Amino acid sequence: MIPLVSNLAPLVCAALLATTGAAKLFGRQTARLAANTVLVRVFNDGRRATLALRVLGGVELSLGAALLASPVALLPGAGTALLGVGFTGYLAYAKATAPESSCGCSARAEGPIGARSFTRAGLVVAGGLAAAGGDAAWWSEVSRRPGGSALVLAAAAAMLLGLTADLDRVWLVPLRKARIRVFGHPLPPASGERVPVAATVQLLENSLAWQTAMPVVRSALLDHWDDEGWRVLRYAGSYRDARGTHPVSVLFALDVTLTVDTAPNPAVRVSLIDEETEEVVPSSVLAPVPVRTPLPLAT
Amino acid sequence: MSHSQESGGRRLDRRRFLTTAAVGGATIVGASALGGLDAEAAFADPMPSLDAAIPSAFAEGRIVAMNRNVLDVAGSHGERHLIQLTNATSIWKLRTTTAESIEVGDGLYARGAAMPDGTIAADAVWVNIVNVYVTIRGIAKDRLHLTHGSDELVGHIVPDTTTASYLGGALTADLSRTRIGQEAQVLGAWRPADGAIDIARVSLGH
Repeated sequence: MIPLVSNLAPLVCAALLATTGAAKLFGRQTARLAANTVLVRVFNDGRRATLALRVLGGVELSLGAALLASPVALLPGAGTALLGVGFTGYLAYAKATAPESSCGCSARAEGPIGARSFTRAGLVVAGGLAAAGGDAAWWSEVSRRPGGSALVLAAAAAMLLGLTADLDRVWLVPLRKARIRVFGHPLPPASGERVPVAATVQLLENSLAWQTAMPVVRSALLDHWDDEGWRVLRYAGSYRDARGTHPVSVLFALDVTLTVDTAPNPAVRVSLIDEETEEVVPSSVLAPVPVRTPLPLAT
Repeated sequence: MSHSQESGGRRLDRRRFLTTAAVGGATIVGASALGGLDAEAAFADPMPSLDAAIPSAFAEGRIVAMNRNVLDVAGSHGERHLIQLTNATSIWKLRTTTAESIEVGDGLYARGAAMPDGTIAADAVWVNIVNVYVTIRGIAKDRLHLTHGSDELVGHIVPDTTTASYLGGALTADLSRTRIGQEAQVLGAWRPADGAIDIARVSLGH
């Protein structure tokens, strides 16, 4: 099993390096991606960072070619392992100094450096070491043990697929969709549920009561509670009269079972309580909503 | 312990009193109109101040220090705000809550009145509020996997808090009509610790 893996490692590493190397070397987005990596700060210049990323792509590509062409030689394998060590060090440096930066590993838009990037760099080290320890060319290994080789290559492909965020939508989303189709929706439908407070607030905000009281209301929802079929929503507000500005509690009471779906025109109880005197403020301070007069129609 | 029970009792007494006032002699207003000042209002233009002499103020940033009811906030563009919380300040952090749930390191949007000493007396504070347009990429029992552009996000479903709205309908706790691949607007509270979101509301099919 071990010789099988190490003899096939050059093929797997070469495939990975060729893909990422070619994307870095020839990719049209390399310049944009380089700008998001920590390389910009290292080289102090976006163009030099882009150049570095392209050179790295060239190195990866030639290492991949060398691994494919002379799999038994020690040098390509050792070089790959060394590259992997370099990647790990670079990632650790970037993670420590600029955790939000992109890794630039596969030359695609990627989020911040995470476990996947480190695992991939570690696999490059392991693959390089395995390739250096191989004693037969991958093509002779494949022809000698086709079944085992196919299994190892399939496992390696699945592993690389899982480690590449870009390919998530290729396999992860269909897998999740299939799981919902087979096992049903993981979130149960709520039946006979309590009306959420947010739904009562939504009902209030669609009401004429809200529009009437809005000039007095200053805060967002301060407090809410249910009492004997009512849901009371408390806001802070202030009103002005001849003696100055007074803080008030603005209270709205709505039927706890209603939503905008069931009650397009809810009746809302509105009251203002003076915060200092605890007295009910007459509703005349509420601005009546002006009645719109229809525009005259041409006849 | 006894103190908190006492204050809890006072709170209930106060609610009782307010309920009587609210349900008893209240003005009843019917019919419908438009308008809103819920969590979404954090992103709207500041309301004009009621008192023309007090300019209204808006602040945004990360809380770097808290001293009793004053929040020291570092804005995203290098500015600094001192935000004074009062009894009349509404505080939102995934749900309507109190000043105790605010922590140093949280982000906030605050609206209020600019005071002569340079502080802001806050009318409303929204802590860690985020409003993102996303695509649903996965559904699990306690979370939604989301993508925002090329960024991946985890949206946690919080029992008794997370609501959904389908096709502009009423907000409901029923999330069973979410589908993978749907576009959605998510309003929620960002978790500074791991960058995930606790979902307050997910709007689908707009």
